[in-house]
Amino acid sequence: MSTPALRQRRSGLLSRWPGRNNEGYLAALLLLVVAVMSAAAPAFFSLHTFFSVIRGATVPWIFAMGVLLVLVSGGIDVSFPAIAVFSAYSAVALTTARGVDAGLLGNFALAMAIGCLLGLVNGILIARFRLPTLIVTLGTAGFFRGAMITFVGATYIAQLPRSLAEQSTRSVISVNTEAGTTFLHVLVVPVLILTVLIALGLKHTMFGRAAYAIGGDPEAARRVGIPVQRTQVVLYVLVGALAAFGGMVFMIQGQAADPQMLIGIELDTIAAVVLGGASIFGGRGSVLGTVLGVLLVQVINNSLVLVGVPTAWQRATVGLLLLLGVGAQAWAGRRPRRAAPAAVKAPAVKAAA
Amino acid sequence: MDISPAPRPVLELRDIVKTYGGVHALDTVSFTLLPGEVHCLAGENGSGKSTLIKIISGVETPDSGVIVVGGERHASMTPASAIAAGVQVIYQDFSLFPNLSVAENIAMPRQRAVGGRFYSARAARPIAQGIVDELGLALDLDADVAALSVADKQLTAICRALVSDAQIIIMDEPTTALTGAEVTALFALVRRLQSRGVSLIFVSHKLDEVLRVSQRLTVLRNGTWVATGAAGDYDRDAIAGLMTGKDIDTSRVVSAVPADAAIALEVKGLGRPGAFADVDLVVRCGEIVGLTGLLGSGRGEIAEAIFGVRPATTGTIAVGGHPVRIQSIPDAVAAGIGYVPEDRLTQGLFLDDSIADNVVAASVTAFAGRARLLDRARMLAFIQSVASRLRIKAPNLSLAVRSLSGGNAQRVVLAKWLMTNPKVLLLNGPTVGVDVGSKSEILEILRTQASAGMGVVVISDDIPELYSACHRVLIVQGGRIVCELAGDAVRVETIEQRIAA
Amino acid sequence: MMNRIAEADGMRRGGAERRDVLTDFVRKIHVNRSVGQMAALLVAAFAIFTILRPAVFLGSYNLQVIALAAPEIGILAIAMMVTMLSGGIDLSVVSIANASAITISMTYTAVSSRAGVELANSLALPLVLLGLVVGVAAGAINGLLIAKVGITPILATLGTMQLFNGLELVVTGGRTLYGAPAGLSTLGTTTFLGVPAIFLILVVVAVAIGVLLDRISLGFRIRYQGANAEASRFSGISSTRTLLATYTIVGLLGGIAGVVFLSRNPSASADYGASYTLLVIVIAVLGGTNPYGGRATVLGVVLATLCLQVVASGFTAMRLSSQQYAMAQGVILIGAMVLDYLRGRGSSR
Repeated sequence: MSTPALRQRRSGLLSRWPGRNNEGYLAALLLLVVAVMSAAAPAFFSLHTFFSVIRGATVPWIFAMGVLLVLVSGGIDVSFPAIAVFSAYSAVALTTARGVDAGLLGNFALAMAIGCLLGLVNGILIARFRLPTLIVTLGTAGFFRGAMITFVGATYIAQLPRSLAEQSTRSVISVNTEAGTTFLHVLVVPVLILTVLIALGLKHTMFGRAAYAIGGDPEAARRVGIPVQRTQVVLYVLVGALAAFGGMVFMIQGQAADPQMLIGIELDTIAAVVLGGASIFGGRGSVLGTVLGVLLVQVINNSLVLVGVPTAWQRATVGLLLLLGVGAQAWAGRRPRRAAPAAVKAPAVKAAA
Repeated sequence: MDISPAPRPVLELRDIVKTYGGVHALDTVSFTLLPGEVHCLAGENGSGKSTLIKIISGVETPDSGVIVVGGERHASMTPASAIAAGVQVIYQDFSLFPNLSVAENIAMPRQRAVGGRFYSARAARPIAQGIVDELGLALDLDADVAALSVADKQLTAICRALVSDAQIIIMDEPTTALTGAEVTALFALVRRLQSRGVSLIFVSHKLDEVLRVSQRLTVLRNGTWVATGAAGDYDRDAIAGLMTGKDIDTSRVVSAVPADAAIALEVKGLGRPGAFADVDLVVRCGEIVGLTGLLGSGRGEIAEAIFGVRPATTGTIAVGGHPVRIQSIPDAVAAGIGYVPEDRLTQGLFLDDSIADNVVAASVTAFAGRARLLDRARMLAFIQSVASRLRIKAPNLSLAVRSLSGGNAQRVVLAKWLMTNPKVLLLNGPTVGVDVGSKSEILEILRTQASAGMGVVVISDDIPELYSACHRVLIVQGGRIVCELAGDAVRVETIEQRIAA
Repeated sequence: MMNRIAEADGMRRGGAERRDVLTDFVRKIHVNRSVGQMAALLVAAFAIFTILRPAVFLGSYNLQVIALAAPEIGILAIAMMVTMLSGGIDLSVVSIANASAITISMTYTAVSSRAGVELANSLALPLVLLGLVVGVAAGAINGLLIAKVGITPILATLGTMQLFNGLELVVTGGRTLYGAPAGLSTLGTTTFLGVPAIFLILVVVAVAIGVLLDRISLGFRIRYQGANAEASRFSGISSTRTLLATYTIVGLLGGIAGVVFLSRNPSASADYGASYTLLVIVIAVLGGTNPYGGRATVLGVVLATLCLQVVASGFTAMRLSSQQYAMAQGVILIGAMVLDYLRGRGSSR
């Protein structure tokens, strides 16, 4: 009984520590890494590093948002890289083949429309046939990539339409430092806007809450009148559009449209989102945690180079970190269950799951 | 109750038919619910109660028939239309969202039902607080539902149903997870709801409860309507007769156990803080001992400690005269203890696996022969013999357990333990969800096993069953054995009095 | 598993029980639907490509390609199937295979540069054993994380996948290593009666896992664990021991797959088979493995492996691209799942 009272006495930010998804620990870890790295390599603590971390994190950030949406609703999506490539490459290939430039907005709109369509395929297969999401998206991932190369094209497009190409060097802030000019890329702006929209959508719309509810218990969601199938379809359409957006940003950053791009990033992205506190079983996860997870991975990648650790160590470090994170959670989760009194036993609930 | 002579029903089902794969779950069942009444829907497991509820709540679509809610005719409902018509169901499994807070569980479905596209946690809180205060509950609104006790989960589910201005509330087996005091509180709540003009359908297979709260009663059996009438017109035996269609054999049959029979299980000073303490227990070979008490008394915890599910921290256990150290389930099994769990479907059975697979699950290692290869011929011979000994009724042993009746499924769990040839068999609620016919046969199996030299402990709140089969009955209160009844002292009334004392 | 036992018994009892035998037999076909389905699909795919491109497809070269490409994928798919049977998954199995291959290759190169090629080649067997030990050790790490620490399999192996793969990148510096014992290359080119030796490795692995699942109590325990972990616990089965054994065995299978990698190609890298992880999940599921656990057959998985290889080589024979093959793969997977769903609804409801 003392816990609620105790909780009320604490106030402000502290009362929410470490957050529903342990965002607090993650933020502390991020700060710790930054502090240690800054001490080890003073060059690390600079605006330049900050901007380059942000730049490197932009694409994983967007994909992580999509992965978060799917995880929250209780699914696992491995088709988003395929959707990203299909949508972005097709949008560019279709317009350049006709010698037109659809403009910045036109190109993005086209790509995201394609992304929506591909997401719709996922959504219908998942919602209509109630198939395991991992298996469905495994299948569609192969299909989308294959279909693109077969029907759209397989050539490397080195010259992006001007409207896109000129974005790659555009900045929103540029600062002159002793080391030279460093700038924050313009594409950060739409990413931030999207992030805020998703955070608001998840927290303050019925659609967002329905996604959490379905991730928590789909049958219970159906019983309280939530349109589960419709919500799932809309969600995968949204995720398709997000993937397409990510694909476009990746292309602009790379200044080329490569049909072979973004291979093998699906599990790494999922790892970053899980590191950010989202549950792989659905129903839990936050935008803040996800952003922290992505940034942590990116900071580690950037800082290891600076302190002279070969880049090869990045992947192993992230893997180790992930294991420590989920391991600590699993270990902590075991303890109370062992010691808990009889009240924890809930046969009726177990039977429902 | 001031029910006017011919009130218009708030809910009427006419000639509802529902089949699953050719089997009638409901066969032309009709049902009326009057305003402000508590109407009990009684029946054995598989009688069609749950299907009827699912049809009212729109989770299932009937094959034919009419549903009239609030004067409007429907061929079928959807969950959303049922909620809009004022129907709320408190499911046996609560159907809550474990990952969301109590406040959101209570308020979110209502906010969504009234057509909101947006959700505000700040607006949800007063809504939830309002209903919690109105009912005089002490729920932590900010807690995750996953962290709640079973009783608090149930209260959350009740709040969620009430916050939506429900006209009709259906409670599906609401008391199974509650302790005696909690049941009393729930019934008080039911009466308050009634006084607000809410109509309730109360689904239960516990006859005492049925009679305590309801004004009218409808009995289903095998998917058909059997009887409807004023609750006061029926006594317990009459209802039981309607539910089962049989007269129940409640005679007491116990064998004579010599006072110097070998001791199968001896427990001394068993305890675990917060659960039970100072438990002494002796079960002789050939003896059936009943262990009973209210839910939450610790009766189940004692059994689970002996079986190593959650081991005791103090005390000693001896099986067949040899002291054993039980820290885990494998320890208990190795010592010769078997345990038939209460939650048969999740803890007892592999539903999609064959009968043979289920029967051999606890003993498979024993059939390892040369080079650790299993001797399948011997294994099958054993399975066959145990299955026929227990008269498991199935066309063949490769049938999935899911397709078996409750009674047959329980025999499969029993068979699994008989395969290990245990010295002691603990059974938690051995006849829960088992039809009456199978019930007496299962008790007969226990008598046979005991006569063959096994020590049997039955943990149950079905008092007639304890009376019928047990040599001695021990009563648990607050984690301690407070009373032992033996011989002629084992009587239904005596046990009831001592439990409630 | 016991259906077969029950059936054999029906036959033993003979005469009066004949109807039982028959219904059992019919039911077995039903239960092993996926095996029948995959066998039919395999025959159909084989027939179609034979009709379309008899000269190329039936050529001994093409059949050799199928027999050489199938083993490594087949062994990994069987490994994946075993984890899925226990209710888990192993995303790290390909990186375990690479760890084994890299260990063998690096040790070989180190020995041959210091003590000569002859000595290094004569150590083929100990080197292979070393690779298998690495696989077992990696599998045991997974097992400990899952069984002892209590991390969900998909998360534990997602982490170890990155960890193992990351460490491989560190030791190889991201380069492809060349060099493997000559014996392994010989193994890769040896045939018995026209059947490549490494295909026989797949057969041996399949039979061994088949025996494990069907005739060893551990196999039963793995299946119980996957079918209902709670009921399994209440039957006195220790999930810790079962899962530890499961993932260790899967590590061994990964190690064997690594040896096969090296036999086909005397090179090793951290990136080899990057697309295999998801591919072997596809194969396991196609082969009738229930992704939620408790149900799987070795035969189904082997047939699914061969089926996809036949389709792949058939596509090559028809001069279709690997991308079109990827498309076909997606269609087959989703088609099979949807078909299962539709059929399941028809019968069980």
